[in-house]
Amino acid sequence: MKNNIRVERAIKNITQADLAEQVGVSRQTINTIESQKYVPSTVLALKIARVFGKPLEEVFTLEEGD
Amino acid sequence: MKSHFLFPYWCRYLGWGLVILHVPISILGRANGMVNIMDNGPTSQGLFTGVHLFFICTSLVMVAGLFLVAFAKEKIEDEQIWQIRLDSLRWAIYINYIILIASLVFIEDVGHMLELNLWVPLIFFIIRFRWVIFRLNRSLSKEG
Repeated sequence: MKNNIRVERAIKNITQADLAEQVGVSRQTINTIESQKYVPSTVLALKIARVFGKPLEEVFTLEEGD
Repeated sequence: MKSHFLFPYWCRYLGWGLVILHVPISILGRANGMVNIMDNGPTSQGLFTGVHLFFICTSLVMVAGLFLVAFAKEKIEDEQIWQIRLDSLRWAIYINYIILIASLVFIEDVGHMLELNLWVPLIFFIIRFRWVIFRLNRSLSKEG
């Protein structure tokens, strides 16, 4: 699963730590999601999308093989 | 994320305290001629006698300590930690059963296998869990 959290963060001008705090996870988790080493749960993905004020599918997209 | 059935964060330090505490008790006890039940097999002296109490103060204190260390919450206990925890637990059970089965086949000393079983899953779980978290933190500091 791909995501453009890094881009969305840049647009909103918030750090990984800010985002982590807003969704209630550690900075490591946001970092591994951004680098696509970890796939978040639906709840966490929805929370992240809500922080950016965008629908889920604009932040997370399926990729070939998923 | 709600995390059930985990000890508070400070229990980790209590756990290490117990693990460290068992070392001097064990050394002092052995110096004074105490024998661990595990080394000699069950005795017929009954419960809560000297030998049994020595066993409780050493092996069981250590295992209780490891248990607290293994199942204390992280500072931020999120879903990724939860997944690493489950994954490490799975590996710990694999390793434990591989050792258990191999030793049942090749070793006749059943008494020591119980001792092995007491701490192998916990030790392996702790090492694997901490190692993955260490690697996570290292990758984070690399990226700044």
